[in-house]
Amino acid sequence: MSARKIVITSGKGGVGKTTTTANLGAALAMRGRRVILIDADIGLRNLDLVLGLEKRIVFDLVEVADGRCQLRQALIKDKRFESLSVLPAAQTRDKDAITAEQFASIVAQAAEQSDYVFIDCPAGIETGFRNAIAGADEAIVVTTPEVSAIRDADRVIGKASERRMPVRLIVNRIRPEMVRTGDMLSVDDVCEVLSAELLGVVPDDEEIIDTTNRGEPIVLDQSNRLRGVYDKIARRLEGELVPFSTFDNQSLLGRLFGALKAG
Amino acid sequence: MHELKSQDGGAESAEVSAAAAPVTLGRAIVITSGKGGVGKTTTTANLGTALAQRGARVALIDADVGLRNLDILLGLESRITFHLLDVLEEKATLDDALVADKHSPSLFLLAAAQTREKDEVDTERMRALVERLRERFDYVLIDCPAGIEMGFRNAVVGADEAIVVCTPEVSAVRDVDRVVGLLGNRFQPQLIVNRLRPQLVKKGKMLSVEDVNSILHLPLLGVIADEPEIVVTTNRGEPIALQREGRTASAYRAIAARIAGEDVPAPTVEFKETFLSRIGSLFGGSR
Repeated sequence: MSARKIVITSGKGGVGKTTTTANLGAALAMRGRRVILIDADIGLRNLDLVLGLEKRIVFDLVEVADGRCQLRQALIKDKRFESLSVLPAAQTRDKDAITAEQFASIVAQAAEQSDYVFIDCPAGIETGFRNAIAGADEAIVVTTPEVSAIRDADRVIGKASERRMPVRLIVNRIRPEMVRTGDMLSVDDVCEVLSAELLGVVPDDEEIIDTTNRGEPIVLDQSNRLRGVYDKIARRLEGELVPFSTFDNQSLLGRLFGALKAG
Repeated sequence: MHELKSQDGGAESAEVSAAAAPVTLGRAIVITSGKGGVGKTTTTANLGTALAQRGARVALIDADVGLRNLDILLGLESRITFHLLDVLEEKATLDDALVADKHSPSLFLLAAAQTREKDEVDTERMRALVERLRERFDYVLIDCPAGIEMGFRNAVVGADEAIVVCTPEVSAVRDVDRVVGLLGNRFQPQLIVNRLRPQLVKKGKMLSVEDVNSILHLPLLGVIADEPEIVVTTNRGEPIALQREGRTASAYRAIAARIAGEDVPAPTVEFKETFLSRIGSLFGGSR
């Protein structure tokens, strides 16, 4: 059976597409799934950095498209996980170095040898976006609880719906204390505006910056709460019914400011 | 020096009087980064506000066709009648399309089209439009979209200077480095390091300004600390630079002064441990 082909997109940049791709991929690989991550951000690749694999790149996406190497030669195996590989983007080429058809065919090829193919979409809705969604049959839209991110997400959800692509939502970087004080939109607010099915809620965590800089997905950190959060999202993707639990912020501050809906 | 001719504000209209003999062109500055979400739009809104508060006439162009946001940050979303593409396609005049800011009388916004595509922008017309704006304004700030596709190329085409915004993250630094390469030698890019968390730098968990600039080697224009307040002001549509007090507002004012050519001391961000942050760190909280 062919893999599920899921594009991770957002419209707005910097909301956490690449971080989500890396951690969700890693969480599924830890559950024994065969996962291939494709960085579609030609010219501005970053997925390799987030996974700490930048020094192991030999071939890239554009070279596969041009037939200069095989897909298996370009795939970088992440040794920390049994079954996770990454197809890096080219760094010194443009987005139009590859056509939507070429992209879709690479995604299809990757799908033959895996359970999940995740496509890390570039920001915006230009050629890079059109390529990234070309081969996918599902979309995960990542948004943060900010008016500008939600407006961009709405635009992208529209574009995915035009292609009859099922869309699910991850609300990223929620700060419970700010929701509590009314300074940040709540998850319910976001879902109501976007009327998309909720896949997960990821709280803002300052550790993410550090783990990203070090190239270690946060799901590898046994003690970090986000490990459990991404695992839940992975299980939901697998079709398990995982309730959205209300969990405490685990600190005095968190408790003072109230509970956080997350998971 | 660029602001001398406009100390009276130009409050009623963006129009330069027809009698004004040889026109000094304003400066066209593109605000870019490669990576999205590092604060280009926030920077544009706040620098525009800070420059206008100094009496300069400022036009802001949202070049993010299809994903506009600058209007939200300024709280002007319901005042838009015409947009950038209407002007480029001569369906509206510049005067019709420029939206006056609510707070700063000499600040104007040219909004992006929301339901159009970036490749519908004619590059040559975009260049000519920026040129026309430079005749009427002291500063034209162009809010560049994320990425390095057509939207990027159209955003930089009319500019003669660049401000690159970077957060202290390796991914952002790599993208900025790429953008600086693509800009070439024409724009003399200057750097704003955005969303610095001094506590994290102190703990060795975030790149410092020096770390960032040891890779980029750019003239440092300013440093802005990460502040939850920014999200609040963004959602409310009131740039934080409007506030009379607070370190973020004064940091933006200092950057505006530096852009205007004033000799402002080198930017620093002090580590101010607040009571809350101390409690938070004691208990391993998320702040």
